[in-house]
Amino acid sequence: MNIIETKKLTKYYGKSLGISEIDLEIKEGEIFGFIGPNGAGKSTTIRTLLGLVYPTSGSATIFGKDIIEFGPEIKEDIGYLPSEVFYYDGMRVIDLLKYSGSFYKKDQAVILKKIKELAEYLDLDLKKKIDDLSYGNKKKVGIIQGLLHEPKLIILDEPTGGLDPLMQQRFFDLLREENKKGVTILFSSHILSEVQKLCDRVAIIKDGKIVKIDNIKDLAKDTHKRFKLEFKGEIDRKQVTELIGVSDLAFDDNNASFLLKGNINEAIKLIAGFELTNLLVEEPDLEEIFMHYYVADKK
Amino acid sequence: MNIFLRELKVYRKGLLFWCLGMVMLVASGMAKYASFKGNSQAVVELMSQFPKSVQAIFGLTGFDLTKASGYFGVLYVYIALMVTVHAVLLGAGIVSKEERDKTSEFLFAKPISRFRVLSEKILAGLFNILVLNLVTSLSSVYFIGYFASDESFMSDVIILMVGLLMLQLIFFFIGTAVAGFCKKPKLSGTIATSVLLLTFVMTFFINISENLNWLSYFTPFKYFDAKDLMDSGFNLIYLVISAILVIVSIFITYKFYYSRDLDV
Repeated sequence: MNIIETKKLTKYYGKSLGISEIDLEIKEGEIFGFIGPNGAGKSTTIRTLLGLVYPTSGSATIFGKDIIEFGPEIKEDIGYLPSEVFYYDGMRVIDLLKYSGSFYKKDQAVILKKIKELAEYLDLDLKKKIDDLSYGNKKKVGIIQGLLHEPKLIILDEPTGGLDPLMQQRFFDLLREENKKGVTILFSSHILSEVQKLCDRVAIIKDGKIVKIDNIKDLAKDTHKRFKLEFKGEIDRKQVTELIGVSDLAFDDNNASFLLKGNINEAIKLIAGFELTNLLVEEPDLEEIFMHYYVADKK
Repeated sequence: MNIFLRELKVYRKGLLFWCLGMVMLVASGMAKYASFKGNSQAVVELMSQFPKSVQAIFGLTGFDLTKASGYFGVLYVYIALMVTVHAVLLGAGIVSKEERDKTSEFLFAKPISRFRVLSEKILAGLFNILVLNLVTSLSSVYFIGYFASDESFMSDVIILMVGLLMLQLIFFFIGTAVAGFCKKPKLSGTIATSVLLLTFVMTFFINISENLNWLSYFTPFKYFDAKDLMDSGFNLIYLVISAILVIVSIFITYKFYYSRDLDV
């Protein structure tokens, strides 16, 4: 069953494009990554799904129900963590979370128990005032606020900002645990490594359009690695050029730099024959991957 | 009812200060009457020699200032201005503040419809308006009675306070309508108060010039003019216009808030 399904979902803000003809199918129990640079349309897609803004054309369903017609009903089972967390000034953490919980039909005692569990796990002081919290701690409030009613679908928009690595790890463990119980997760981010760590499938979005949807493993297989070679002496330009799957090749004094696609074993064998002073193999940054899909798209 | 209760809590402190302000306005206004009462005859004569425009600006036209109720009629203009400022800011604020404070992503991700959000907020707003009206009414009765125990004023005060409530309702819903319609949450308060001040200033022009009487239909302050209310009670046409204004404003509030994108 598809938990989220969008059909040609399009949103214009006046004349400027938010998203264009987004087709997504997110299956029950998967962790779906939604990745793209800032302003690509990730938040717009999510806000449309949640009924904060209305689609210009196209449609979407969550749990098989239309997002506009059944908005309130659907949201009973959705937990949402917005990218920027703003809360009512002057409220204590516990009051905000209780207020948040009061919107759900679930037994409030069960919700309160869950709040306390999560707060302890994430090391958050419930008695503090929201205004006094650091950005990271506000994010924790957001996480608890999104999980306290044990939703069947969790939507996270850039959730890790402000969390230290340890907290991030705990948060990811928490998500995996929820996922094991059958919870579906939509995880939006502009950080590729995050998405790679957690997600089963991933959609890449750029300029409001879905560029590619893939299994994370296939995407990694497909992903280019950036090689930077520093030669001891002259560069054997001919041999470097002949490497299979090389693109974006550049020479500079004793340095050679290129993107390599696919199987790296052949390349390593060949590189082993070079006299090098230094070798760097890096994940290409996200921008490079986007460039790749962007160029491919144009062809 | 969680949003209703939450809004009551949010506006609790503000309401308290508004109530204190109204009590002080009424008290200090009527205290001046006490000092005025002694040599009222001379002052009234002096004032009647002012040009009509000056009298109009001070809101003095047509009241018998020797009586406490007449004096209160003058004060009423300022009371009306205060409570309508409260009403219009409350209406605009209570609807637009989720967007202004960026809490709409929190609130509208919850399983509630915009209809319910609006309805609970409007109920909370009406509660605030009623409380302020009651406090103003009771303090008026108390202070008029305190300074003028020898005349009957009760019926005058009651009709004025009902008129006041109508004014509050009209401007409260104008406020919600502006906020419902306006996509920029920070603008709604400014626009709503501008409408209020414009219609308020209009009453001065109408008071000065007989030729502008037709303008009365465009300013709610004239629908519930203190002198008219005290002399001849409610005017049916004005009551009908008021009802239409309120209904149309409510309609605009729901219609636009329901169908527009939230500012997030």
